[in-house]
Amino acid sequence: MKLNKIYAYVIAVTTSSVGCLTHAADINLYPTGPSQDSAFVRFINGTDTSLSVTAGGSKAKVVLDANQPASKYYPVNTKGSITGEFSDGKVSSPISLNVKPSEFATVVALANGSNLKQVIVKEQPDDFNALKSSLALYNLSSAGCTSAGLLVVDRSVSLFEKVQSGALQRRLINPVSLSVQLTCNTKPTGKVLDLGLLQAGQRYSIFAVPTADSPRIFFATDTIAR
Amino acid sequence: MSAASLIGLTFLVIGESHMSLPNFLMEPLSDDLTKQGALVYSVGACGASAGDWLKKTPVSCGAWRTGNGEVVRKGRDASTTHIKELIAADKPDVVVIIIGDTMASYGKPFSQAWAWENVTNLTKEIASTKTKCVWVGPPWGDDGGRYGNKFGKTENRVQFMSNFLANNVSPCTYIDSLKFSKPKQWPTLDGQHFTLAGYQAWGSAITQSIVNIPDIKQVKK
Repeated sequence: MKLNKIYAYVIAVTTSSVGCLTHAADINLYPTGPSQDSAFVRFINGTDTSLSVTAGGSKAKVVLDANQPASKYYPVNTKGSITGEFSDGKVSSPISLNVKPSEFATVVALANGSNLKQVIVKEQPDDFNALKSSLALYNLSSAGCTSAGLLVVDRSVSLFEKVQSGALQRRLINPVSLSVQLTCNTKPTGKVLDLGLLQAGQRYSIFAVPTADSPRIFFATDTIAR
Repeated sequence: MSAASLIGLTFLVIGESHMSLPNFLMEPLSDDLTKQGALVYSVGACGASAGDWLKKTPVSCGAWRTGNGEVVRKGRDASTTHIKELIAADKPDVVVIIIGDTMASYGKPFSQAWAWENVTNLTKEIASTKTKCVWVGPPWGDDGGRYGNKFGKTENRVQFMSNFLANNVSPCTYIDSLKFSKPKQWPTLDGQHFTLAGYQAWGSAITQSIVNIPDIKQVKK
């Protein structure tokens, strides 16, 4: 290599290096992820009558009835209390809870004689998966079903077992068509529920709630409000 | 890689800082895809996460490029554009997403609920336009040399982030960048952003993976 070419090479490398170093110093430090995780809350009508949920701050109202017993999950601020009110037009039940980052909170209204009561169940899921369906069983049926399970009808397969009252279990399953039936203390209870064809990536919840006779179950898609 | 394997296809490539600064990924990746016969629209936005492409979000820097033309850089006036606006304008057959490092929460607890919501919102939005999409996950970093590991990118977390994306980007096809090199193989300036040689290797490997997607030639709209 001739001397002038060597100089040219050295100068080129030096220039490039200086450029890179100057450039590296200029790279801003962007946040990688938020300062804290998201959190969500939803409301469920576990009674036999229509209920409204009114937000404490905005007074926005959602009606939950037999056709739509579950609200969407609403993103919430974790630095303060979430307040609101369930009401059936005659009696009301004030809502107040705190939700931590990463939590998905479910506030369920249940009949308590002629009044309303609430059960709050929280989960921190880590099973996010767009290739599978995620299904949860919430046992809110109180003394009527102290140990709940869920059977796949016609397949003698148990999806959930021993879900204690006031608790939930969640699992990933293949996105297939399913019909299920509640079990209470291993005994099939109530009507068969057709879930239809589950979608990959979708999250679902089944709620077992008390009735005058025996516990019943209903089904909701876990949707985030945008 | 046979020449012009992507002829007739239009690509929209969006991404984070890797796609935004001089001598980064935008030039070699769009050059490689263009050599394969694709028409390529590239848009970069520094620090943008998946959810930032669902609204106009101001960012500290950005760039855009058509094919192998001149890169147009943006400074403090840079912002993202809603993905549906980009798709409507560019009419791509394939959207390529280069996002991972901005969502990995390096140096702090991983925000899984936030990441899941952001990723699925973007993939659903793209799916609603019936456009094929490819998600390119984060590559390995290194100790950062003179400037240190500014972002706190660790091998454990980048592996976790890659696994998370692999499980959650469907219906997009996932390209695992961790398979393209060994940890610390491609030198960086700051633990995360590569020197030009690293970006050239990454761009070439991404292009090869796209060419190898079985149904890629059938996605022409």
